[in-house]
Amino acid sequence: MKLKRMKLAIAAPLVAGGLMMVAAPAMAQDARDCQIPIGALASLSGSMAAIGGAIGESGQLAIDHMNAAGGLLGCDAVYRLRDDQGQPSVGVDAAKSLVEIEGVEVILGAIQSGITMPVLTSVSVPEGVVQISCCSSAPSFTELAVEGGTNGFWFRTLPTVRPQGHVMAALARERNYVRTAVIYVNSDYGLSMANAFAEGIKVGGGEVTAMIPYNQEQASYRAEVTQALRDDPDSLFLVAFPADGATALREWLSLGGPQNLLLSNALRASEFVDAVGAKFLTTAVGLDNAQVAGPSVDAFNASWQEKFGEPPAGPGLHTMYDAAAVALLATQAAGTYDGTAIRDMVRQITGPGGEVVNPGVEGFKRAHEILAAGARITYVGATGPISFDENGDVTGPYLVWGVDESGALTELDTWDIDRVNVLMGDAE
Amino acid sequence: MLGLAVYLVFFLIVVTIYAIMVMGLNLQWGFTGLFNAGVVGFYAIGAYGTAILIGPDRAALIGGFEMPFVVGLLGGAIAAGAAGLVVGLATLRLREEYLAIATFGIGITIQLVALNFDALTGGANGLIGLPRPYFDRFAVSNAYNLAYLVGVILIAGVIYFALERAVQSPWGRILRAIREDVTAARSLGKNPTLIRLQAFVLGSAIMGLAGGLYVGFIGFVSPIDFLPILTFQIWAMLIVGGSGNNRGAILGVLVVWGIWTASGYFIGQIVPPGYQSQAGSIQAILIGLVIVMTLLLRPRGLIGEEESVSSHARKQAQQAYKKKPAP
Repeated sequence: MKLKRMKLAIAAPLVAGGLMMVAAPAMAQDARDCQIPIGALASLSGSMAAIGGAIGESGQLAIDHMNAAGGLLGCDAVYRLRDDQGQPSVGVDAAKSLVEIEGVEVILGAIQSGITMPVLTSVSVPEGVVQISCCSSAPSFTELAVEGGTNGFWFRTLPTVRPQGHVMAALARERNYVRTAVIYVNSDYGLSMANAFAEGIKVGGGEVTAMIPYNQEQASYRAEVTQALRDDPDSLFLVAFPADGATALREWLSLGGPQNLLLSNALRASEFVDAVGAKFLTTAVGLDNAQVAGPSVDAFNASWQEKFGEPPAGPGLHTMYDAAAVALLATQAAGTYDGTAIRDMVRQITGPGGEVVNPGVEGFKRAHEILAAGARITYVGATGPISFDENGDVTGPYLVWGVDESGALTELDTWDIDRVNVLMGDAE
Repeated sequence: MLGLAVYLVFFLIVVTIYAIMVMGLNLQWGFTGLFNAGVVGFYAIGAYGTAILIGPDRAALIGGFEMPFVVGLLGGAIAAGAAGLVVGLATLRLREEYLAIATFGIGITIQLVALNFDALTGGANGLIGLPRPYFDRFAVSNAYNLAYLVGVILIAGVIYFALERAVQSPWGRILRAIREDVTAARSLGKNPTLIRLQAFVLGSAIMGLAGGLYVGFIGFVSPIDFLPILTFQIWAMLIVGGSGNNRGAILGVLVVWGIWTASGYFIGQIVPPGYQSQAGSIQAILIGLVIVMTLLLRPRGLIGEEESVSSHARKQAQQAYKKKPAP
């Protein structure tokens, strides 16, 4: 009896799931009888679960748009999202099973660089599968690509942090800060950002007085702050996430640190401003990836709003959509579902010279028409124009933000791609 | 079908590497009763030791000695063994629960050192571009994986037979005597501290060897590989399989890692993507359920420890049984 009930308990969700799978294609207006699996890895549980779920859904949105616009190579694209649990060994196993059992030729993800990298080196590159990450910012991918370790199968739609660090250094220069202390979160993101900033400061002739890493989720950062204050800096560059950043900054201010603050992109959050107090932040200046305004960004924002009933707020949503869209359009343009062919097509469909297509069902419909006519497309995505360099990296535009007396976040300035490129050209 | 076979080869490589680690823990806990809750730390030292020895030379790094893989592997194991010696000397006089807390702290400390010692470990970005041994001799990467599987199985086999031999030797009997009753062992003139240290160092070196094999397989290492959850997974494998029995330890790896990964596959198949973030927790529930069920139904694990202590005694018992006329 007990056993029977247990069997039922196991069978019920299985049957329900099976029904959903049967029902889903039947509901689509023009169901196609073949399927092309698109693989994705995200941290749906574990330390990144808070952002992983929405990132996973953003990929699904692109797949839905493609299917509604006429499918992929005459088939239905099906989304195969797997949870890496924030653990590299689990992520690598999931990627291998996506490639070998489900037959995917594209893997979207993962989120954390420490998972994306082993998937790339042990699965994607050896098997010739294209990997496009929405969210991994570590500079080691660029390094690996330069060494020839990626065979060109690696792309990411998230602008790397190196230009961001350089722009930040330029902001410090604009404000005549000459002795800056850096406190950064000890992760691949924080370390790369701090290093890029120091590099930029050096180019401009300024000085970094201290580079102090901090470990996440500590009750106090007094030791780190004291160390940062030791050489009498005139300003602070804080690379942090909101909760820890507020803790560190309150201690900085209470120990008499100057209010000349440079803040990283993740601190552009009202919870951070509230926790620190707006009156201390009026001279602060921050940097964030800009969603360039324009029809392509609006198209994505509108379709997200339509599906989820709220604007797309959160890290990785725009970049994940673009990662999926690039994979889908490159597959369509290649005319065959094959990793190598897709790899060779990615720059063809994003680079300049083709007719511009935007995110959303209408954009993908237009892409189908153009590609069917044998012409070229230029996909301009949810993050604006995308242009992969030879290492699979993109450069993005930035916005400079500040805080007014009431505690509201304001936009002070923007850096478009050309301005960033000029700055980076000077740095080389 | 071929795809499934290719995946299984990949799966079994990870299983075998974890099996080596679990055998190391089994020597420490299963046979000697040492509660090592810092397994992942020794695994990390082995992995970084190997990575530093075999890695390419880089300006920003201390390591990168470009040595052959075998040298790196042995170096990693020796480094982990040496760490085991230092940790053992400092902590082995502690009783079980205190030893557990001390080693747990040490495991986390090692991970934090890896995260912060940029010049040696590459910090949060890890060490990239590590050569996979003999990778360029294979045209197809899956053929390479098969060869790597054969390699790790051979190594695991050698460790298995060596450990089986060791635990059935007089030395192995002392281990169990210490585990059961330290005072009794000491009263027989044995030196428990020395013997426990030997078992701890040997077990740590075996864990380090597993770390080196992981690095050779993945070609990359970073601190996120060594989160405390891995210690928990290894313990779960040993408990489910049956501590005090190496075959149980290996079976435990197959069962636990199989459930851990296969559940992800099935969840991916049946749950629509919008609900997968919730469904991810099912995996954690499943694994907890398996452990609790094992403890309830088979408290000694799937294959528990064998009753007999020495093969000699067992033979005598069998002979005595044969001589006795059937009732």
